[in-house]
Amino acid sequence: MEMIIAGLLDSISPASLIFLFGGVAVGVLVGAIPGINGPMAIALFIPVTYYMTPLTAIGFLVGLNKGAFFGGAVSAVLLRTPGTPEAAATTWDGYPLTQQGKGEKALRMALYSSVAGDFISTVVLILIAAPLAAVALFMGPAEIFALISVSLTIIAGIGTTSLSRGLVAAGFGILLGLIGTEPVTALPRLTFDVYQLGSGLSLIPVAIGLLAFSEILLQLERLSLKGDGEHAANVFSSKLEDRMVTFKEFFSNIKTLIRGSMIGIGVGAMPGLGAPVASFMSYDQAMKRSKNKEEFGKGSLEGIGASESANSAVVASSLIPLFVLGIPGNLAAAMLMGAFMIHGMQPGPLLFKENAQLMYGIYGSLMLASLFLLVIGRFGMRYFCKAVDIPAMILYPIVVFTCIMGSYLGQSSMFDVGVMLVFGFIGYFMRKFDYSYVAFLIGFILAPEWERALQQVVIISEYDTFMFFHRPVAVVLMALTFFVIARTFWVSINAGRKIRLEAASTAAGQHKSD
Amino acid sequence: MTRIKRDTIAYLLIVGFSILMLTWAIPAYTPPYPGYGASPAMMPIVSVGVMLFMSCLSIVFIGVALYMNKPLPLEEREFPEDLEDGDGFTQVGRVNLYHLASIMIPCVLLVVAIEYIGYMLASFAFLIVLQYVIGNRKWVQSIVMAIILTAVLYIVMRYGFGVPVPGPQFF
Repeated sequence: MEMIIAGLLDSISPASLIFLFGGVAVGVLVGAIPGINGPMAIALFIPVTYYMTPLTAIGFLVGLNKGAFFGGAVSAVLLRTPGTPEAAATTWDGYPLTQQGKGEKALRMALYSSVAGDFISTVVLILIAAPLAAVALFMGPAEIFALISVSLTIIAGIGTTSLSRGLVAAGFGILLGLIGTEPVTALPRLTFDVYQLGSGLSLIPVAIGLLAFSEILLQLERLSLKGDGEHAANVFSSKLEDRMVTFKEFFSNIKTLIRGSMIGIGVGAMPGLGAPVASFMSYDQAMKRSKNKEEFGKGSLEGIGASESANSAVVASSLIPLFVLGIPGNLAAAMLMGAFMIHGMQPGPLLFKENAQLMYGIYGSLMLASLFLLVIGRFGMRYFCKAVDIPAMILYPIVVFTCIMGSYLGQSSMFDVGVMLVFGFIGYFMRKFDYSYVAFLIGFILAPEWERALQQVVIISEYDTFMFFHRPVAVVLMALTFFVIARTFWVSINAGRKIRLEAASTAAGQHKSD
Repeated sequence: MTRIKRDTIAYLLIVGFSILMLTWAIPAYTPPYPGYGASPAMMPIVSVGVMLFMSCLSIVFIGVALYMNKPLPLEEREFPEDLEDGDGFTQVGRVNLYHLASIMIPCVLLVVAIEYIGYMLASFAFLIVLQYVIGNRKWVQSIVMAIILTAVLYIVMRYGFGVPVPGPQFF
């Protein structure tokens, strides 16, 4: 109990509150800018958190992520260009409302739905993470090894269009994550006699290069081909009913919001699926169950609520596998895992034992972030709307220069800037060739832990080849790994066959008509 | 170049890279087996093995499909964005080497130049060049922005975080 009170008091210290508030505000701002999303913003801001306390740093980054999820809805509603991928479903009803002069109403509904989804998800996280972590403490290295294997396979298989390319990306990430000092011999491995690689590739330049710099390379390419995007229309009507979301309107959609939040929680807790899946799934369910199906796609508040509550619920629930098992389920959680490691902590069940006060502090910050999101979104909406109009020619040089200096800031090393540029280059090609950078990054982060677990298994079992068979949970998880691989292959082969059959029948039909 | 050709070339490059890692880099740059635990080379071999196996498998699938003269799925024949309007997040497509070089070269030059002419001058010049490459031809705006951004990051690093700025200091 003392730990809980001390942790909660830490979360309301002035420094924590200021940085949390700043994190949410910056998050909404960057989320509103098309092309900049939560994980990218976390990668850019992680170097700054080197100079903060662990609670302030994690609070700031979590606030940033929460803010970015709502921010994505701003450009989705105003420009029909989702600021983040998960806001894509919000455009379907948000933009029609903007065209009707009710843009502010759409944004308010998005805000209230985001806050509701986020709040429900945070409560679920608080209620279940610690008990699950207590159970996870019984897991040994064999189970951890098997769990990482299945997580990587799911992320490589489900989160990508091709399992083979996903696994190639994960394998490449693991290979690069193994560079540095080998844990058993304490000798350098795969460093190619470059002394800066002795401690391995630093996460910050790798993440900035892969997430932020490569994305900006693509955005600039799009800019050079298609020119600057549209500009937001004036969405702030003078009529009160076009601006407000009444209690009646909000509570008439409460079922949809709760359902959306539950879908978001379920999807977020599963590795590899991500917020866009939650958002589309929730929208689809809301449309199927709605009494006003015909309004969907034409400016339905229910549609906005379904999409936004689900994608915002993913933020907190994606922390469940991270806190309970030490395995990041999506990119934002992977970046937060990196932040934990930078501050000398290993996410996982031991966090609740070794850093209980910090964990309760994080819980406090998570709850406060929901409140701050409501306040900042409600009172700063007009200003954040202006962010979508920042000219690309001003924005992109700032982001590129921030990528370069952010990479330098971590270890005051120009070598890290070089690493960032190399990974920006690799990331550009990975995106162009459809290799999952998510699988790569999670493989890169989990590689040392995976190897440590394997080493422990080998040493503890005294080279017993059948060690895994003595651990039923590990057997089940390894079986699940092979099942995921087999199923994904089966699904892709069937899909290919179906497309070929359709193509053949279309060709036959054309031939007949000729 | 069709997507299938490009993917095949990518798989072949990965196969080449994997063979190079397995035959040269991993044996040459991995510590010897200490006599206990798993070999230090084991995990790198497993990860490269996965890359090699999956790439070979994909090449075989493509080869079999072409040999049997089966019509390939649309996405395997052309770029998705050539077929339909993207959602703004589909990033698969043609590599624009000219564009890539126009951004990467100034960045690499900045890293080199900063060691010789210092942060201030190198950053200022870099930002001017970058804005020009992006298409900003308003010189006054470019110069003002370069000065402000260079100065703001200098102040943030030097006084905010107490981190020395890179390269020699002339000012």
